[in-house]
Amino acid sequence: MNIAKMKKHMVEILIYIIKILVAIIMFSPIIWVFSGSFKTLTEFTTSSNIIPKNLTLENFEYIFTKSNYFIYVRNTVILMLGTTIGTLISSSLVAYPLARMEFTGKNIIFAIIIGTMMIPNIALIIPQYIMFGKIGWLDSLLPMIIPAYFAYPYNVFLFRQYFRSIPKELDEAATIDGCTKVGVFFKILVPITKSTFATIGILSCVFWWNELTQPVFFINSDKWRTLTMALMTSFMYTSGNAFVINWPSIMAASALMIIPPMLLYLFGSKYLVEGIKTSGLKG
Amino acid sequence: MKHKKLKNNLTAYAFCLPWFIGFIVFTFFPIVFMFVVSLTNRKLNGLSNFIGFANYVNMFKSPTFWNSFKVTLFFTIVMMIVTTIWAVIMAMLLNYKQRLNGIFQFCYFLPSVVPTIALAYTFRTIFGKEAGLLNAIISMFTKETVTINWLYDTQTVYLAVFFITLFTYNTGQMMLIFRAGLNDVPIQLYEACDMDGGGALTKFFYITLPMISPIVLFNSVMGCISALNGSFALLYPLTGESGDPNGMTQVLSLLIYKEAFSNMKVGYACALSVVLFFIACSFGIGIFMVSKKVVYYEN
Repeated sequence: MNIAKMKKHMVEILIYIIKILVAIIMFSPIIWVFSGSFKTLTEFTTSSNIIPKNLTLENFEYIFTKSNYFIYVRNTVILMLGTTIGTLISSSLVAYPLARMEFTGKNIIFAIIIGTMMIPNIALIIPQYIMFGKIGWLDSLLPMIIPAYFAYPYNVFLFRQYFRSIPKELDEAATIDGCTKVGVFFKILVPITKSTFATIGILSCVFWWNELTQPVFFINSDKWRTLTMALMTSFMYTSGNAFVINWPSIMAASALMIIPPMLLYLFGSKYLVEGIKTSGLKG
Repeated sequence: MKHKKLKNNLTAYAFCLPWFIGFIVFTFFPIVFMFVVSLTNRKLNGLSNFIGFANYVNMFKSPTFWNSFKVTLFFTIVMMIVTTIWAVIMAMLLNYKQRLNGIFQFCYFLPSVVPTIALAYTFRTIFGKEAGLLNAIISMFTKETVTINWLYDTQTVYLAVFFITLFTYNTGQMMLIFRAGLNDVPIQLYEACDMDGGGALTKFFYITLPMISPIVLFNSVMGCISALNGSFALLYPLTGESGDPNGMTQVLSLLIYKEAFSNMKVGYACALSVVLFFIACSFGIGIFMVSKKVVYYEN
């Protein structure tokens, strides 16, 4: 019996050690970013210490004074809010009949929505680029914000999952009381699924905070760059004949970009974590 | 009665209208347009002539295309497998009830919400030749000076790139989902297996895996799409539009970008997009075909 107990103890300790190792692997890039952001350019390119020898704030100073950082923040916030508001309104409207009404063609519509979920955006980005060029939307945030008001399939799918979990009797009771379908949606479904809206809203914000591909294709000029694009292009310069990448400034800018999702996890993990869990479960 | 049904249908269609317009304008039309443009020699400045299937003929003769085609399949499949396995491992570790699991989940999950571009640049420095973290760690253990340029060496580039995919959003998302899925496996099944004298491996392959297989399936489909879609944001800042070294990481999305914006051959880029479109379709169909055979559904 004692041996069995000891064996169990050993297993516990072993799993603990594995857990700590995995944690070190997973968290090391974040530590590296934060440590790098306080190093000087010389130290960053010559040594790989975790703790900087002489702490400096010059990288943050550089970001705030030498680049249009606040414009990039503004653009990212506009993009995030614009797309999130749009997709919340449009996707929830579309999901409502798919989850709670019977009508001709419902299955076909749902099948097309699932089908379009499978098409990676990158495959259609060149024709979209030409299209948006024709109507003069290029080099602005419009190619990303406007489509959000016409329902993203993936968000429709998520809303449908949540809406289906609400008892149908509620709708029926309201209909008997003389409520129309539109009334049921706004007066009953929306109020009781507020947390769903928060969840999908947060997932959408995280997505657009991190999105690089579409801005790279659609935006050219500095005045509409997002933070992700700025991170990629704004901290390089030529000094004499040399092309210099200001790595510690990139680290500092990355550190600043990591902080909002980190706070979101710490204070809003109910919505973030629960939302992600539901987003992948078959229903 | 008929009138009521008609009214009901019309209400439903009115709700679906935003999606329908969006589908036609932002998905269906671009698909058709993509096929049309792929038959022209359209340049970035908009000049174009109809050239029939010349783009496709050139494409199938081009070694760059075939390399990119292979890299895309390879990258997508390996990334899907690697990230899924890693997500299952992390989920099982976190589901083993011990103290401090909250902190562990924070450490495991946080990299996933870090912007891909920040991740890519961070790893460019971690895998750097001089003053890179990885070389420093290896030097510490071997007491020799190591100067491997991980991302530019043909022997190490895949190792480095797939290691980085462990930190993407996709992995963290799957980890959380698998945690939830693993919790739903009925505990009686494990108890029964204990009584029959099954070991940890038997439990994993005969109970855990079949029970979570529908979730694994769904997430591998999503993983596939995000591998095809997200490869650009990850690889463009990591190895550039030519997919260094020697195009070993040049997935189709990078080639499309290069042809359209550096070589200004938009028509040719559209032909490449058509191929990418079909790859995505066949992945989707393929996974569902496989799923019918191997996935266990409770109902």
